Amino acid sequence: MTAGEIAAHLLASCGSLEQFDAYMFGSTLRGIGQDVDILVVGPRGGALFQLKRELRVAGEFLPLHILYMLPSEERRTNFIRTENCVPLGRVAATLSQVLKTEGL
Amino acid sequence: MNWQVKRAIAYFAEQPRLSAQHVEGDLIRIEVEDQPDVLAVISAANEIDAATAASYQEKHPEIDFLCGYRKTCVWPGDTIAHLQRARIGWGSAGTLTSAALDGKANTASHKSYVFADRLLRQYGRVQEVSREYDRIYRIKLRSGTVIRIGMIDDYEPNADAVRSLWDDFGPVDIVWNINPNGSPSPEAVDAGTELGCEVMKWEELKERLRTA
Repeated sequence: MTAGEIAAHLLASCGSLEQFDAYMFGSTLRGIGQDVDILVVGPRGGALFQLKRELRVAGEFLPLHILYMLPSEERRTNFIRTENCVPLGRVAATLSQVLKTEGL
Repeated sequence: MNWQVKRAIAYFAEQPRLSAQHVEGDLIRIEVEDQPDVLAVISAANEIDAATAASYQEKHPEIDFLCGYRKTCVWPGDTIAHLQRARIGWGSAGTLTSAALDGKANTASHKSYVFADRLLRQYGRVQEVSREYDRIYRIKLRSGTVIRIGMIDDYEPNADAVRSLWDDFGPVDIVWNINPNGSPSPEAVDAGTELGCEVMKWEELKERLRTA
């Protein structure tokens, strides 16, 4: 699966992602790497518990490596900027654009 | 071919001096420049129990290494003991890569925990070490005090890493951030306090073990 396909798969499979900010980062964005690095930013609690369950199912055939951060942790570390994280929606949109260009 | 085997072969193809071919099922052969070939099972399991390890060994008696392809793969203590007795290396794809390059696949242990394991076992105040999981230890000090320790290898463990460790493995007295660089986030330390454990690096742990 390409990065775009993985992002589209996660967004389609995990409804709870709507309640969080989710990103892809690392080597998967360049089409290589041992695993798929995902960053999820949001509060702890029931929604996070549900999201973890959904991601576990969605990742049955994927080596997902998911980092969960509180908003305060992300702000302090500036992780999104320093790791060049790309929103999952934008990664998936890249796939849609490719499919449209190829007339699929 | 299983997804994890495909990914592992592609991953090894990116590594200098290594190449890998599929043999059958979850088994691959890794060829290394100037080192013996390595036969490795690549597992997609979230946790590899001792029965699974034994069944792989029975199916492929010649294997050198059992690889949990997921970074999050959990290794119970009895699995580790079984594999070490059988002279089968165990750990992540990164561990397998280093071990294959060093010609030590049969004796390698998960590289995230190998130094922390050694530190605990060699520390003079520690009398007994029981490894419950790859990252969970129960140690008995010479003073008689028993401490349950959970390890996190992240550069900067966050609150979720501490809470997940607690949820997944049960209460611990100490969360040890074993990554030699970085340090736990303030939120991680607060999460530990809320749960009833302390989050610390080796220097603090050493002091704690000295005085406990």
